[in-house]
Amino acid sequence: MSHADLHLNTHISKQFNAELDDIRQRVLTMGGLVEQQVSEAVRALTEADGELGEQVANRDYKVNAMEVGIDEECTRVLARRQPAATDLRLIIAVVKTITDLERIGDEAEKIGRMAARLASNPPPNGSLPAVEAMGRRVSMMVHRVLDAFARLDAEEALEIAKEDRRVDSEYESISRQCLTFMLEDPRTIRPVMDLQWAIRALERIGDHARNISEYVIYLIQGKDVRHTSLAQVQAELEGNG
Amino acid sequence: MQSKDKDAYIEHIDVEGFGAKASTTSDISMTVDGLNLFYGEKQALKDINLDIKKGEVTAFIGPSGCGKSTLLRCFNRMNDLVDTVRTTGEIRLGDKNIFDKDVDVARLRRQVGMVFQKPNPFPKSIYENVAYGLRLAGVKKKRVLDETVEWALKGAALWEEVKDRLNESALGMSGGQQQRLVIARSIAIQPDVLLLDEPCSALDPISTLKVEELIAELKKEFTILIVTHNMQQAARVSDYTAFMYLGEMVEFGETDRLFTNPEKKQTEDYITGRYG
Repeated sequence: MSHADLHLNTHISKQFNAELDDIRQRVLTMGGLVEQQVSEAVRALTEADGELGEQVANRDYKVNAMEVGIDEECTRVLARRQPAATDLRLIIAVVKTITDLERIGDEAEKIGRMAARLASNPPPNGSLPAVEAMGRRVSMMVHRVLDAFARLDAEEALEIAKEDRRVDSEYESISRQCLTFMLEDPRTIRPVMDLQWAIRALERIGDHARNISEYVIYLIQGKDVRHTSLAQVQAELEGNG
Repeated sequence: MQSKDKDAYIEHIDVEGFGAKASTTSDISMTVDGLNLFYGEKQALKDINLDIKKGEVTAFIGPSGCGKSTLLRCFNRMNDLVDTVRTTGEIRLGDKNIFDKDVDVARLRRQVGMVFQKPNPFPKSIYENVAYGLRLAGVKKKRVLDETVEWALKGAALWEEVKDRLNESALGMSGGQQQRLVIARSIAIQPDVLLLDEPCSALDPISTLKVEELIAELKKEFTILIVTHNMQQAARVSDYTAFMYLGEMVEFGETDRLFTNPEKKQTEDYITGRYG
């Protein structure tokens, strides 16, 4: 059941249909903005575009405002509709998802600020291609997890959880590289530390995307797969065919 | 309500069952086994199988006409009062089938008490309402009656409100008080099982919460089955929920799971207010 259907528009109360649809749309809109923030932050970083980095950092307030708005709407639905089953799981998954989206926004803001600093004090030659690859992977994760949320695709959500492992190992390898740069030439410490902060933020974004993928699985299957090994999650999903 | 209270009074009351004592070792209070029920030609219950856990609250939900009240009324054979009703299958209390020919229905109903949608106090005093079943059971000693009435009224969370006017008519009480009085009357004779048929549907929200609170207290000593149209109420008060539709038991399971992750689409549609 990779493409589940929650039948969100089949309530007897049309107003309830509209409320749930509105919440879902707003999450996707917020996700779209966050996705843009991440990809532009990565671009600012890898293209040494300080201005773009500042723009990203200064746009984060929009993400925050969207989180607050969706949160309020979810509280209202809980109070007024007492949702059950998939409706309840949708609201819970949304409340958690937007928290992680907001944090992704914060990390993008950090990357934007680091990009602005690195534009005027560039990191050593050869340090950026690996960061670019990691940035692409992380941006893609955010894109794909939102897609999985929109299409209710549990298998895709599982793939994202797997992808997070690759991000973690890329982070390890770039960190080692950063250490080498700093050991070889102490004058690079300042920019390489900034770069280190940026990849740390990318790594965190990967974690948040993975969290969201777990909420998607919870939403579709009603199973809490947090703190569960990938193999176990996979077995669970297959068990449900 | 302390269970030692219950034990203290139980010896004074004729608690002899209808021929079977509920098992003391099993955690199952009653078992429904292949139950079918017909109103004339029309089948109202279709092959119901169900274990009722002892000391837990089991809720029956489903749209009007799904058979949940009919099923509830099977547990103490209230359907016997309807001429055209025919049942097959068994409901066991302990190891005794309650439909057996030798079952004394009056005694069965003493063991499996019932509270209805509309409070139905007798046009007597508050005290006499609660003492009624005890008198029927042959209790004559004033001290035993007094103590049991007090115990039952306390058990029904009503004592503080009525202790100074026990001799006033029960008909002067509010609806919520009357419903709790009826519950006190039911528990006074120490049933094993209490059947509640939409006990709150005629009550205001505060009285409803009081009755719900009472259910949580009562389940420490009695097994409770409740039919309710209010799904949130089922979610709040019950440990197990049975969803019925068109005379069939569609889904039965732990309330926590059924309301967050139902297995059947019909259940999902009903509890989330969707078109069936």
